[in-house]
Amino acid sequence: MSNTTQKKTLSKEQILSAVIVLVFYVAVFIAEQTIPSTSMLFTVLKKGATYALVAVSMNLLNGFTGIFSLGQAGFMLIGAYVYAIFTIPLAQRASVYQYYNGGIVQTTLPVFIAMILAGLVAAFFAFLIGLPVLRLKSDYLAVATLGFAEIIRAVFQWDKIGPLTNGSNMLRLFPTFNDFNIRNASGEVTIYLSTLVPLLISGVCIALIVLLINSTFGRALRAIKDDEIAAEAMGIRLSSHKQLAFCISSFFTGVGGAMLAMYQTTVQAKSFTTAMTYEILLIVVIGGIGSVTGSCISSFLFVACSEWWLRFLDQKHMIGNFEVPLLRNGFRLVVFSVIIMIVVLFFRQGIMGTRELPDLFRKRPTDRKKGRGIKA
Amino acid sequence: MSDPVLKINHLTMQFGGVVAVDNFSMHINSGEIVALIGPNGAGKTTAFNAVTGVYTPTSGTINLLGQNITGNRPDQITKLGIARTFQNIRLFSSMTVFENVLTAHHLRKTSNIFTATLRLNASEERKMREDTDALLRKVDLYDLRDEIATSLPYGKQRLLEIVRALATRPKLLLLDEPAAGMNPQETDELGAFIRRIRDEFDLTIFIIEHHMNLVMEISDRIYVIEFGKQIAEGTPSEIQNNEAVIAAYLGGDDL
Repeated sequence: MSNTTQKKTLSKEQILSAVIVLVFYVAVFIAEQTIPSTSMLFTVLKKGATYALVAVSMNLLNGFTGIFSLGQAGFMLIGAYVYAIFTIPLAQRASVYQYYNGGIVQTTLPVFIAMILAGLVAAFFAFLIGLPVLRLKSDYLAVATLGFAEIIRAVFQWDKIGPLTNGSNMLRLFPTFNDFNIRNASGEVTIYLSTLVPLLISGVCIALIVLLINSTFGRALRAIKDDEIAAEAMGIRLSSHKQLAFCISSFFTGVGGAMLAMYQTTVQAKSFTTAMTYEILLIVVIGGIGSVTGSCISSFLFVACSEWWLRFLDQKHMIGNFEVPLLRNGFRLVVFSVIIMIVVLFFRQGIMGTRELPDLFRKRPTDRKKGRGIKA
Repeated sequence: MSDPVLKINHLTMQFGGVVAVDNFSMHINSGEIVALIGPNGAGKTTAFNAVTGVYTPTSGTINLLGQNITGNRPDQITKLGIARTFQNIRLFSSMTVFENVLTAHHLRKTSNIFTATLRLNASEERKMREDTDALLRKVDLYDLRDEIATSLPYGKQRLLEIVRALATRPKLLLLDEPAAGMNPQETDELGAFIRRIRDEFDLTIFIIEHHMNLVMEISDRIYVIEFGKQIAEGTPSEIQNNEAVIAAYLGGDDL
């Protein structure tokens, strides 16, 4: 999705990439109007869009700055809660916060404002956590951020702050993706937008991240990833650059969390587990650490496999009188794990390596115009 | 006379019980090429790291042009005008030659993250790119502009590291064993190159080096340290005839 450049003129490859992205969006729009909205396709696209944004945010840290953070689930949780808390209609608060007298927050924000707020609060938490944690290196940082996510999950279920978070109960009845559909007076949907809008939100956010990565600032981040000591010797202040990258990544992870809330239609802290972070990490690794395009493609593939294409493995199948062995509830996860192991063992670079969409159209695959070609 | 470019006063660098640099004082005047030599483990690189802020000195002060820079962060010190290269090459491995040098131009940028992301710094960025190209032309690396830095031959990587340091526009350039691993011809070229950049970029140069031919040829003065302590100081010819230095290098119990 990198259709941006420092130079005024766009290269042929970049224009071609922009066209592909545009065609994708048009195709989704047409599909949405023609295919029944219950199709698994849309589930995959919606969740894929959400995961793509979070995966790209993670890639900004892991792939471009060299900060190995595993706090994604925590920042998504914060984003999801902030979004849900501030968008539940006033009339519904009494029923949602039934154990807490309707809760303490009695304002309802417009959906997009609430999404931005979700990102900002996540970024603020990232700032606080970043102060001590970013002094740590690699594995230690990963463990510390992982711990943070677990703590956040526990804290949000604490019933003392129930009036804010509804304790361990669900938050629900806030606007979801389906509310993006345009309805006529009698409530029938006239234009389906419940898949296109999330894809657009995600696309805009990812485009911003790409702009950032290819900017002067992004180059400083890559310098830090390549060699911290050399970067520092070139006058790049490590702490402020890392802190900013961490906050920005968390901002978009928070927005991703808000999108996940809309996708799920309910929010409950206990569902934001470490496994969720690992899913995102897997997406980043499978797509290629350091490739935004790779993260996008692999999140759709990942979601499609886990939600749709491999579902049949969980059901019993009969061929005549013969029952196909092994197919039973849970087998899907076994196959899934094997696929992941194969990818990690034999395709270390992931789907894209460090290439981006425009790189695919360059004549020579090793034409490193952007300096981020495939590693020898 | 004006302040020396670099003045180190009684620098001591201690790591636990190990005293890597012990009460070491020195100065470099403007335009000089001064070498720091000594046997392996003498504390030369530690002294460099203290000057560039990688380590905070246990005691002693470091002055750049009369300004006390002791305890500043490496990035601050670079901005004040000290650039360096590393003993083991530290180029940005995922970047091209061009990008490596471009990144060193960052310290003069005025853009912040928002202006950079929204491309409001386009004219500044263009200027940095033009300056980078001009510098690469000047040092004859322009032909290798789009190569990945770490795919260059070893000698060129060493050269690129110096050029990258030059791009920060330093007053004082610290070279940590720039000739390590170079063949005799490359070493000769390096000597000429160091002199040339001293003149063209109006530099003062502080160099750690083991190639004695190179050191004797280009240095105005030489400091010799052993076990963190200074054992000699003087012009190349004085050092060559200094008994303490000969003993330190060749070993000897007559001292």
